[in-house]
Amino acid sequence: MQEATLSFKARADQALADPTLKLAIDRTTGTAERKRAVAMTQFPQFEAARERGKRIKDHVIAHMDHYLLEFERNAIASGAKVHWASTAEEASQIVVSLCRQAGAKRVTRVKSMLGEEIGLPHALDEAGIERVETDLAEHIVQLGGDRPSHIVWPSMHRTREQVSEMFKRAHRLPHQEETIEAMVASARRELRDKFLSADVSISGANFLVADTGATCTVTNEGNAELTTTPPRVHIVTAGIEKLVPTTAHAFAMLRLLVRSATGADVTQYTTFHCGPKQAGDRDGPEEFHIVLVDNGRTRMLGGELREMLRCIRCGACMNHCVVFRQLGGHVYGGTYPGPMGAVLTPVFDGLASSRDLPHACTMNGKCQEVCPVAIPLPTLLRGWRDRSWREGLEPASIRIGMGLHAFVASRPRLYRLGTALAIRVMRLFSRGGLVRGMPGLGAWTRYRDFPAPAKRSFMEMYKDSEGKR
Amino acid sequence: MSARDTILNAVRAALGKSTVDIEAVRSEANALLQDLDAIRPERPQGSLIDAFIARATSPKVAASAERITGVEALPAAVARYLEANDLPPSVALQPAAVLKNLDWLPLEARGEVKPDDIVAVGVARWGIAETGSLVFHSDAETPILANFLPLHHIVMVRASTILAYLDDYAATVAGQRAPRNVNIITGASGTTDIEGSLVLGAHGPSRLHVVIVDNDASHT
Repeated sequence: MQEATLSFKARADQALADPTLKLAIDRTTGTAERKRAVAMTQFPQFEAARERGKRIKDHVIAHMDHYLLEFERNAIASGAKVHWASTAEEASQIVVSLCRQAGAKRVTRVKSMLGEEIGLPHALDEAGIERVETDLAEHIVQLGGDRPSHIVWPSMHRTREQVSEMFKRAHRLPHQEETIEAMVASARRELRDKFLSADVSISGANFLVADTGATCTVTNEGNAELTTTPPRVHIVTAGIEKLVPTTAHAFAMLRLLVRSATGADVTQYTTFHCGPKQAGDRDGPEEFHIVLVDNGRTRMLGGELREMLRCIRCGACMNHCVVFRQLGGHVYGGTYPGPMGAVLTPVFDGLASSRDLPHACTMNGKCQEVCPVAIPLPTLLRGWRDRSWREGLEPASIRIGMGLHAFVASRPRLYRLGTALAIRVMRLFSRGGLVRGMPGLGAWTRYRDFPAPAKRSFMEMYKDSEGKR
Repeated sequence: MSARDTILNAVRAALGKSTVDIEAVRSEANALLQDLDAIRPERPQGSLIDAFIARATSPKVAASAERITGVEALPAAVARYLEANDLPPSVALQPAAVLKNLDWLPLEARGEVKPDDIVAVGVARWGIAETGSLVFHSDAETPILANFLPLHHIVMVRASTILAYLDDYAATVAGQRAPRNVNIITGASGTTDIEGSLVLGAHGPSRLHVVIVDNDASHT
């Protein structure tokens, strides 16, 4: 993963120079945006539902100690084994050692962003356990040897031509026809016997239902159930913020989640998993493990990022983000891309290595507007910017620039003189109302034009009109 | 200190409290479920069954549906489906007594769903009109894989078990011991993972056909 070692700016330049990437991003995010918009017109209750969803999450967050214990108690009563992990490493180790105890040679995995967050794919590979990704997009990511670029459509950075080539190389009975239908059928053939022959399955959870001890997965492919039913052991990894009080609360959140993610009213498959195989059951795992993961969440709970714990991972913020739609997800360098990723990555990776992310935002507020649990993402990003400044992480050029700006801006006469001069110089470079290039403005004009400023500054015009009164 | 204690202590420290008033938490949680009509789609006009069929067959869900009178009419409905779709006269049955006890001749009907079965017939416990969904509970008559292995899934649901909202299902099962799996199935398996383009039959069934059984004497 060479991209991780490059700076954010270098990764962004690479992404902008890749013409197929922009096409691939536009196809998926454009569709997602349109479908969500249609779903909203059919669900006029959205605003009220969103306010309620926000309150449900806030309620659980405010009583997280109670709900963690209630969930644990009920999960154990259902026959589940509950494990706790403070860090990503601990969580991965627990999963790997459960796989080893089960003598697992092959594990099947259901797409889980928490699994990515704790580095589970890597940990399993390191442990020499064969890992089969069963979500179609994760299967493509695995074949491509790269990382998910979106939390709902992890392989959105791939065009159909690239997918076709990968499947032809890797599948035993690849497609003959160059259609997406034939490619999907090829993956179905390839993965079917792997589902049935795995020793352990690993999934995430969209909800942890406190009053039953069940975990809930939502998928459209049906891979979660095909994955978690045949193997002898099923392991769930979930962040502690996934709790809801009851199944009915989960449904209230589900209505928001699915409409925001894909524009559907409900996912094709919504499944609650509660403990291992019960007496009389025809199928299901003998062992059911749940790993509850903190990995920075309790720190968020006690600080300015508490509201981020409401996030239900729908991806609407990135689908509507002007920066994400130019760059795609890999540029963000972390598990989670887009606005929510720019808030979360500094929590996991530290601000020093991710300070560019909170700056990769135009503050247009679109992410907050579409967020189904009303997380004030721009405010949280501004908080990171502020902290980066206070901790001295901003580079010298920015510190000097900001210092100069503060010096000038706090001296009105100097400021007016400066702006009056600046707009006159800029107008020298403008053609047809736009500045297409100018010394010192290259970083901007390389990708878009700069509107030419007015002939005179606001203060100049204001003074004139004052004089006329 | 165990990770469990570390996490619970960190949560309590972050929340600045050490005790929980369970009754207060419970009533707060219940209050969040008041006035559900304000936060869910409007109840459609007409009967619940019509609403269910309208949702299940809407482009978003893309299942097909039909109504029959009496469960005895199910084999004939299945035979019609097979013929209409050019499928061989052979089905795998979910091992449920209500299905096994029917007279399937002249169709070949096996009492188990295997990985390479093309058509399976199942029975759902409930239908949900809000979303056009079918609800299954895993048990001795309901292997979960039977819902996911076949390419064509034909599911019978009794008209009397169709509920208005997902919340009505939650209320119906509240306080009962949860089964290992609850499957809420809405349409066929689909994926939009390649260029956002929808393809049905990703890993599970590519077609879902719902048969609603009215006036079922064996149920009432």
